[in-house]
Amino acid sequence: MPVFESSEKFNEVLGGFFRLLGDTPEIADKLLASKLIIRFNYTDPDLVLVIDCSGEKIEVRSGDMDTKAIVDMKMSSDIAHKFWFGKVNLTMALTRRQMIAKGPVPKILKLLPAIKPSYAMYPKYLVENGYGQYNIH
Amino acid sequence: MLPEFYQFHHPTKMIYGAGLASDFSHELDALNARSYFMVSDHVINGLGLLDSIREGIEQGGFTITGTYLDVPQDASITAVEEISRLATETGAEGLIAVGGGSVIDAAKAANFTFSHGGDLIEDYSGAGTLTEPLKPLVVIPTTAGTGSECTLVAVIYDVENKVKLAFSDGFLLPRLAVLDPVMTQSLPPKLTASTGMDALTHAVESYVGVDTSPHSEALAVAAIELIFNNLVKAIEDGDDLEARGAMLIASNIAGTSFSHSMVGCVHSMAHATGGLTRVPHGVANGILLAHGMEYNFEECKEKYARLAYFMGQDVTGLSVDDAARKAIQAVRDLHKKMHALGAMPLNLREAGVKKENLKAIAAAAQEDGTTVYNVREVVAEDILVHLQNAY
Repeated sequence: MPVFESSEKFNEVLGGFFRLLGDTPEIADKLLASKLIIRFNYTDPDLVLVIDCSGEKIEVRSGDMDTKAIVDMKMSSDIAHKFWFGKVNLTMALTRRQMIAKGPVPKILKLLPAIKPSYAMYPKYLVENGYGQYNIH
Repeated sequence: MLPEFYQFHHPTKMIYGAGLASDFSHELDALNARSYFMVSDHVINGLGLLDSIREGIEQGGFTITGTYLDVPQDASITAVEEISRLATETGAEGLIAVGGGSVIDAAKAANFTFSHGGDLIEDYSGAGTLTEPLKPLVVIPTTAGTGSECTLVAVIYDVENKVKLAFSDGFLLPRLAVLDPVMTQSLPPKLTASTGMDALTHAVESYVGVDTSPHSEALAVAAIELIFNNLVKAIEDGDDLEARGAMLIASNIAGTSFSHSMVGCVHSMAHATGGLTRVPHGVANGILLAHGMEYNFEECKEKYARLAYFMGQDVTGLSVDDAARKAIQAVRDLHKKMHALGAMPLNLREAGVKKENLKAIAAAAQEDGTTVYNVREVVAEDILVHLQNAY
């Protein structure tokens, strides 16, 4: 049984969290410096989210299959959810094929130190926005 | 403490023996391919190393459909695409790579499109992009350092965009690695030293990284012991096949170790140094290893203390701190010995790095992908101190 009951709910929760990261200068500045465009292809429930760091502001677009992404990542929605709690080792997930990455993986790895503060933000964000039921304890 | 999860996957068959490169065709019977395309470079060909390999394979009833020798120092996309095209056109069913890291990586990357068609960058750049196995790849290393014959990564240089592209996939692992010390006999002292220090750095960083496991640690200490016992001998006497063989094996098992546990801040600094100043990777690693160990001292001292024994140090009765210091000193002493033999620069200055480059190297090191695996956060200002010490 997946954590999120529908694509819409997952989009609401995760899309909202990406937008929060985009409004957090400590994290956003480093993401913008990377100039990366990442397409996340989530499954079960299905969702496509594009995180576009190529401009002056981070843009989060759901369902965008037209933008040419620099990195394409595929994973289940549950793994993505767990990742933002800091409970998934990205490199290990790639080895275990829990995540598949197409494109320059080192560029993604370089972002890991930058997004570290977000692991503490995610559970707080869930509670503050009425998504407390999705928290992992 | 055991890791919460780890896996060990090593499907590459390894065979070792002096003279084996010209007599291993019976091993090919198991690979389901009768014809092979050979990948190497002009230096290896000029040394006459390919002739006996070719003869041995053909005597076994297999065919060499063609040979590609234009692999540059950094394996390029052009070379990879040419290898794939020629191997396909000549009707090969498998690949044989004879060379150092670049040749091996070029053959590994070429195997993507040679096996499954498509576009190298669009379809395969990344991690875990394959769903089906590749055609058989046989690898005969002619250097003892990269361990590329047993890693699941290939690094290719995109000349146009001046970036290195990484391909990572379990299916990239060669089917057969032939370790023949005769193939490294003509390796000059400087290359023997730098590739050997590359292997040592793989082993040390793999042993102390964030993703270590009992399997990778066991391999790392075995490699370290072999390197400390044989690297100087191989530099002093290139014809010492025992030492050459030990270094090939050490490189192979250090490669297997770091393929599972990755590397850390020494590689972060070496990648940055190489990228900005073109200092060869093994030379940079050789100069920077002791300094990187210093950087991680507090986090790794218990492990360094254990390593000291495998580096030939007597640590009886010493405190953890003192035993750990002995390990770092042993690495320094090894490096100094190679310098005294004229095989390695003593410091970054001698390697041609300009002092004004150090800040940029520190900044680039902080951004390197390997920092993720280092036990201590790699911060440019802190790492700069160690780069200055290495200067």
